[in-house]
Amino acid sequence: MWSVFILMVIALCMGVAAWLIFLWAVKSGQYDDMEGPKYRMLDDDEKIKEDLKSDDDSHLK
Amino acid sequence: MPKCDHCSLHVPDSKAVVDEIKGEKRVFCCNGCRGIFRFISSEGLSDFYDRRESSWTPGPPDERPVEVSSFSDSMKKIDDGMEIDIVIDGIRCASCIWLIEKIMLRTEGVTSARVNYATHKAKLRWDPGVTDIANILARLKSIGYSPKPSTAGAHEEELKAQQRDLLIRFGTAAFFSMQLMLYSVALYAGYFQGIGEKTRSAFQIISLGLATPIMFYSGTPFIHGAVRGLRNLSFNMDVLIVTGAGSAYFYSIYQIATGGEVYFDTSAMIITLILLGRYIETGAKGRSSEVITRLLNLNPKEATVVREGGVRDYVSVPVSSIKADELVQIRPGERIPLDGIVTEGTSEVDESMLTGESKPVIKGPGSYVFCGTQNLYGSLVFRVKRTGEDTVLWQIIRTVENAQARRAPVQALADRIVGYFVPAVILISFSTFVFWFFYGRMLTPAVMNAVSVLVIACPCALGLATPLAVLIGTTRGASRGILIKGGDIIERAKNIDTVVLDKTGTITEGKPYLSHYTGIGISDDEALRIAVSLEELSEHSIAKAIVNTGGKVTPYRATGFTAHPGLGIRGEVNGKAVVIGSKTFIESQCALEEIEGALGGQLVSRIDKWVSSGATVVYLLHNGRMSGVFVISDKIRNDAKSAVGEMLQTGYDVIMITGDAYETAYAVAEAVGIGRDRVMARKSPVDKAEAVRKKQQEGRSVMMVGDGINDAPALVQADVGMAMGRATDIALESADMVLMRNNLGIIPDAINSSKKIYMVIKQNLFWAFIYNVIAVPLAVMGLLHPIIAAISMTLSSLSVVGNSMRLKRG
Repeated sequence: MWSVFILMVIALCMGVAAWLIFLWAVKSGQYDDMEGPKYRMLDDDEKIKEDLKSDDDSHLK
Repeated sequence: MPKCDHCSLHVPDSKAVVDEIKGEKRVFCCNGCRGIFRFISSEGLSDFYDRRESSWTPGPPDERPVEVSSFSDSMKKIDDGMEIDIVIDGIRCASCIWLIEKIMLRTEGVTSARVNYATHKAKLRWDPGVTDIANILARLKSIGYSPKPSTAGAHEEELKAQQRDLLIRFGTAAFFSMQLMLYSVALYAGYFQGIGEKTRSAFQIISLGLATPIMFYSGTPFIHGAVRGLRNLSFNMDVLIVTGAGSAYFYSIYQIATGGEVYFDTSAMIITLILLGRYIETGAKGRSSEVITRLLNLNPKEATVVREGGVRDYVSVPVSSIKADELVQIRPGERIPLDGIVTEGTSEVDESMLTGESKPVIKGPGSYVFCGTQNLYGSLVFRVKRTGEDTVLWQIIRTVENAQARRAPVQALADRIVGYFVPAVILISFSTFVFWFFYGRMLTPAVMNAVSVLVIACPCALGLATPLAVLIGTTRGASRGILIKGGDIIERAKNIDTVVLDKTGTITEGKPYLSHYTGIGISDDEALRIAVSLEELSEHSIAKAIVNTGGKVTPYRATGFTAHPGLGIRGEVNGKAVVIGSKTFIESQCALEEIEGALGGQLVSRIDKWVSSGATVVYLLHNGRMSGVFVISDKIRNDAKSAVGEMLQTGYDVIMITGDAYETAYAVAEAVGIGRDRVMARKSPVDKAEAVRKKQQEGRSVMMVGDGINDAPALVQADVGMAMGRATDIALESADMVLMRNNLGIIPDAINSSKKIYMVIKQNLFWAFIYNVIAVPLAVMGLLHPIIAAISMTLSSLSVVGNSMRLKRG
């Protein structure tokens, strides 16, 4: 019988953990932009460093 | 003419700015574009030019400096710095968002930058110790976008908050329901196979713990709604939900004390499923209001007024203070703040947000300019004609808002049923109590039986019945190219018996082109050259057809352009008077015999043939003499005839409506199989709406199909407005349905699938109620088995879900 109670406690903890993660996700805006991520995943990580040249625009930084 | 390397505008060689950047020769239309190109390439983001869509033309940058002070209201202090929401004007595609985020993140001190794809709003965070808002806005400006303070309507914010709130409540209910189910299944198993007394009460108490947050946190909106409803003595849906869920909950608590069976899962299911239904509904509402906000944000807040009093004075004033008849100056890249008529200057204006035409329109003295459109190349001065809420942009926004405020009748069907159902249930429950109290002479069983009537009567699948069918049905429609904007449309679409088709852009392709031209007394090419010189200054669709599809000619210098709406244009080309226009217009300028004489019998009969084939013919009068004929045709869509045939066969009354002349309209109608008596020609946008209204007064249910701003009032007036895929923002907004593919054949399909969805909704409502209705007599008799309650709950939900799924096929 004890094993059932232990399993129940584990199940409860897992459920509550999933619920807390869900709350965090909504509050931090993960559900706000349902359109963007599908484009974002296509963006390559950049190769800036070699292109960065101190041009005459340094005052803009 | 070379093309600007940044904004893709064509620039005359004499005006081009040439620069050498990273060893390559680049051409720009202005120094603003040059600066942006230099900056983007110095940041190593030249990729932007490769990844943007080919039709993308940002236009030269707005030269007006950013008013930093106007942003101070929307700045917020957060834990590790400052945060602001701003609207960014000039975003055209996903690449712009990429560019903006990259540039922002490379600004020292900016800690986070996210641009929302749907709303064009950016959320920026920065460390006030390192940088400030002025610097951030200057960086945005330096890549050619105009930051504007976010003026999100209170309405939109409220909707957003409401949606998020619902999501959290639903999510919470869902997670606790899942846990709760575990114990409920164990308890049901225990009911059949036997279960230890201690284990059972432990499980029941845990169930109570899990059901409580669902009842009192997730269920709060229903409790509020029910209290409001009862105060007004109306039995709404919320009352039913709260009575059902609440009685199950409290009854179960009582059962724990007396050692009976519990119904916590019932109370949790009711609330969870109905919350899901509500969440699906608000999502659909939120999407449509985003477009309005975007339109509103296009409106500039300040403009330069020209004050004439001996010396010209240029004063920057708030747009709201400008009155009609004042002169306003528009510099390159600025948005036009009000409607008016150009008095000085020529420029190209991007009117795509109004007309859907991506090619800029040339504006000169006498042309109309509209609020919200973007000036591209030159400087303009215009006389204000309409201000504030009278502008075309505002009229559109108002129409759209009104359309959205319409009530959803499908929901009303459910509400109507509930209106009878709730009092009936309460009455039955009360009678049950009275019967058992006097018959059995005992209080406890009387209360128990009365409560179980309440518990079993609440149809928990009710909240899902409508939204789920609409969601699955519309998703299915979307995959076939029909966008249906809401549940209410489905009920209206199923009754459609009259289909009104707009001619231009719906039956025809909406791309007029110059199919023939002939010079009279001068060479054909000379006639075209003269016509193009003058037509270049006009924005009329016929003028555009002549200029764009006439082939390459070098225009002459044209002056003194004036437009006569609906008739034609006049002006001077190389110092000689030129008139181009319809036959009526030409006849008012030149004797009839002379025209006929110049044309000759053969040409006249050819012109008759062109007109009867649906083409528009315009005439050229050069130096007072008939000098040319131009034929502008618009191809009829390939599938128009078969689609009209199909609709007629199904029994719909098919009507064609157009602003064009009768001859053209008859010819097109004949070609697609619409009878002459079903043609309405020479109708203005308002007339079109009026015609639709008349049909409705005759008791018809009208669907209007159109694609442009001209159709917007009729689209809204019609029971169902349908826009073609390439339609303008306004048409898309005013329409209830959108055809994603320009294929008329799906119109009957769209009506049929609406009928199907509506039928499924009705069936769903039936399945949601039927099990409960059957179980109620058992409860009245005091024979209600707990297992029957559980099965009926599950079965009614499953029936609704399964029945809705049928919409996925076929």
